[in-house]
Amino acid sequence: MAKSASDPQSHAGHSAPVGAALKVYPAPKELEREPLVLNNRSLGWITDAIAGICEKPMPKWWWPAFIISFGVMVMMFSMIAYEVSTGIGVWGLNQPANWAWDITNFVFWIGIGHAGTLISAVLFLLRQKWRTSINRSAEAMTLFAVACAGIFPVFHVGRVWFALLPGYLIPAPNANGIWPQFRSPLLWDVFAVSTYGTVSLLFWFTGLIPDLATLRDRATSKVRKFFYGLFALGWTGSNRNWSNYEKAYLILAGLSTPLVLSVHSIVSFDFAVSVVPGWHTTIFPPYFVAGAIFSGFGMVLTLLIPMRTLFKLEDVITVRHVELMCKVILATGSIVGYAYGMEFFIAWYGGSPYELYAFKNRAFGPYWWSYWSMITCNVISPHLFWFKWCRSTMWFVWLISIVVNIGMWFERFVIIVTSLHRDYLPGSWGYFTPSWVDILTFVGSFGLFMTLFLLFIRFLPAIAISEVKGVTPQADPHHPLGGAKDHH
Amino acid sequence: MNHAFLILKRWMALLACAGILSFAGSRIEAADEAAKTPAAETAATTAATPAAGDAGHAAANVPGHGHGGEAKHVSFAEQFGYSYLTAYMFCLSLCMGSLFLVIVHHLFDAGWSASIRRVTEQLSSLLFPWMLVLLIPILVLQKQIYPWLSLDPAQDHSLAVKVVLFNPTAFNLFLIALVGSWGAIAHSFRRWSLAQDKDGKVEWTRKSRVLAAAGIFYFAFSLTLGCFYLMKSLQHQFFSTMYGVYYFAGSVWTTLATVYVLIMVLSRPGMPLEKVVFKRQQQDVGVLFFAFTVFYAYIHFSQYFLIWNAAMPEETFWYVRREYGSWKWVGFTILFGHFFIPFLLMLNQDIKRKLFLMFPMAAWAWLMHYVDMTFNVMPVLHPEGLHVSILDPLLWFGMTGFLAVMFWRNFNSAAPYPLRDPRFAEAVTHHEIPAAGGAASHH
Repeated sequence: MAKSASDPQSHAGHSAPVGAALKVYPAPKELEREPLVLNNRSLGWITDAIAGICEKPMPKWWWPAFIISFGVMVMMFSMIAYEVSTGIGVWGLNQPANWAWDITNFVFWIGIGHAGTLISAVLFLLRQKWRTSINRSAEAMTLFAVACAGIFPVFHVGRVWFALLPGYLIPAPNANGIWPQFRSPLLWDVFAVSTYGTVSLLFWFTGLIPDLATLRDRATSKVRKFFYGLFALGWTGSNRNWSNYEKAYLILAGLSTPLVLSVHSIVSFDFAVSVVPGWHTTIFPPYFVAGAIFSGFGMVLTLLIPMRTLFKLEDVITVRHVELMCKVILATGSIVGYAYGMEFFIAWYGGSPYELYAFKNRAFGPYWWSYWSMITCNVISPHLFWFKWCRSTMWFVWLISIVVNIGMWFERFVIIVTSLHRDYLPGSWGYFTPSWVDILTFVGSFGLFMTLFLLFIRFLPAIAISEVKGVTPQADPHHPLGGAKDHH
Repeated sequence: MNHAFLILKRWMALLACAGILSFAGSRIEAADEAAKTPAAETAATTAATPAAGDAGHAAANVPGHGHGGEAKHVSFAEQFGYSYLTAYMFCLSLCMGSLFLVIVHHLFDAGWSASIRRVTEQLSSLLFPWMLVLLIPILVLQKQIYPWLSLDPAQDHSLAVKVVLFNPTAFNLFLIALVGSWGAIAHSFRRWSLAQDKDGKVEWTRKSRVLAAAGIFYFAFSLTLGCFYLMKSLQHQFFSTMYGVYYFAGSVWTTLATVYVLIMVLSRPGMPLEKVVFKRQQQDVGVLFFAFTVFYAYIHFSQYFLIWNAAMPEETFWYVRREYGSWKWVGFTILFGHFFIPFLLMLNQDIKRKLFLMFPMAAWAWLMHYVDMTFNVMPVLHPEGLHVSILDPLLWFGMTGFLAVMFWRNFNSAAPYPLRDPRFAEAVTHHEIPAAGGAASHH
């Protein structure tokens, strides 16, 4: 070791580029990373492109889309009114499948709502700059999905007014001094989902403030100016504003990150704390979280791929963004696949005949079609994203994103229904079939989701304007285009 | 370098002595066993014949099962085997955690970690030949270590159902194949990385990505099987779908603590990584170390909570034994030492570059992971409570010391960082490389 230890040549027979000075080779052309905003768009262009969506009249397709969504939503509320006025018997629940369609839909929508906080908080903490083009829509999607999810547990009690009385879901004793069952994960769900919804709303709103101020400053009518100004909370864009904003955003990101894990972990506890074969398995919490992120990203792609085309936002939501989301789907789909495999393996390994039967019944019993739909959609289809063509062909990605969501709905259906419909006594076995009310209520929840999303893109900036500007070359003081130059 | 080899030789000699002693011990133990009447054992395993659903109760009578509580005579071979297995699982954690970091670096096409990748490449390369060589004593002492190897599958339902995997032939072949294949994967990454140092071809990066893509699946399933064989099978009746993830989470946590210390030391003035590792890498490894503190706690809590809440004897027996006597305090030590202390300490982001706190934290992480491995392994041998043998520190220091020497030898045999990795520029310029790709600014 005669030479200095800092000299790479002293370490190896390999020839290091330069002894004393560090030589840095630029990335070869084929491995250069695509910029996050294409065509060297200026900051002004970004503002015009995004703010313009909610300033100009909506394109022609918007009204038919809104009317159809609204109609479907009305159908859902009609079904709910019918269910409440008639009784829970209008659903297809039976013995032994006394928990089926409603809880499947609840878990499905909560899962969809997962990607928003992941993109906002976790990717923010991990300094993943690509999140900036998609986080706003994903956060909005989270809120709408949580709203859709909330409908099912609230209305599955039948006499819904009881759900809101003390002693049922509200954590306070009723007239007889009876408290809700605090040892039940169903009550934990109330806390977890409401906390998640609240923090997600706060996070979404905090991120909106600078953009609302932009819309306020650009508003041409008094009504718009008033409302955007009201919610912009007097934002001036001063250093002090930005400093407080950045701190608040970071703190909310830190608070939200455990929520990403907690919400779906607690949803998984709804099943895993029991002793029902097929439900009681220790891998459920991370497996549910991975599945939720998987389906959440699926829905983000389902919404953003048409949006980027319809609003001509291809320079902001680029193919690189889509590819990266495909990779997240691939990663989380693989984790879900590992969990499916591990469940089956341990059912065999553990030696419990009931556990093994539950899994054999899933794959080869009366609901085999749902199990294999789940496997095809969740385990097989994401692996197409290993191929660049599959990741970068928009219609194909959109198709797979829908397949992913179909698969994740089936996953919840498989877990819930196949574990319940055949229990220990063959004499009490049954078969669940959804009623028309079940089906139309679920279809109607998509109407609610799409109505809210269409209103969101009508009135609020669907992409975080200030955050996208922050990842352009102009925002980098070391970049030739950066610094205090005239790019506005 | 001569000095390093001298140390290596001494450790080899020490291990050889330990091996001879263990072999001798095993012969004595075998003679002891032959002299005993196996009536009690037979009765216990007969009771374990499954009435379906009763497996848990019956299994409480099987060796390695039940509440424990009574101290039994422990031979030298048994103590050596268990102490050795604990140390081995610790070292395997470091190697597999490093292999995981190499795989995800390629899989995520990461930039920031390019300048520290050689450290993890060299750590994971210890899998072959050294971890494979170090596996030999476990294979030699397998009957002393694993109670299920002495059971008749026909008399034990939980063994009979998985006899395809749990038989001596499969056990030996799979373990050798697993450790050997991990080593082959690790060496492929290292070899291609070194080849790229010479010619700078992108082809090596592409090959690594393809291997990482296939490797991550193989890694997940094979690590699960490996830790089932090596550690979980000590109580073969126990089953938990989370167990593989649990070992993985602890392994990556310990590895990140190790990598943190290594890059901090190696980036000091005059050291090989001085010019290529910056605050960014140091901070990011610290952040990952913190993140895995939480991830491990999440995983272990989920496993414990779901087993405790369901309270099925088929599962609870594993934790019941670990809550008996002083094992309860070991469990509390893991709860506070593996999670609360590091979590609270590293919550502040500035802490992650304060060496006077982080170095002790990393040492503490090593200790806690060793305690965690002990918590998994030792209650089978010492159900009455924690028992520290002189062999525990001796073998742990021996194995880690030997691997440290091997690591340092490997590290010095090649360039200390990937000289011509296509993402190297990103790592050393904090993503601030000018568009033209010229000389970079360092901060």
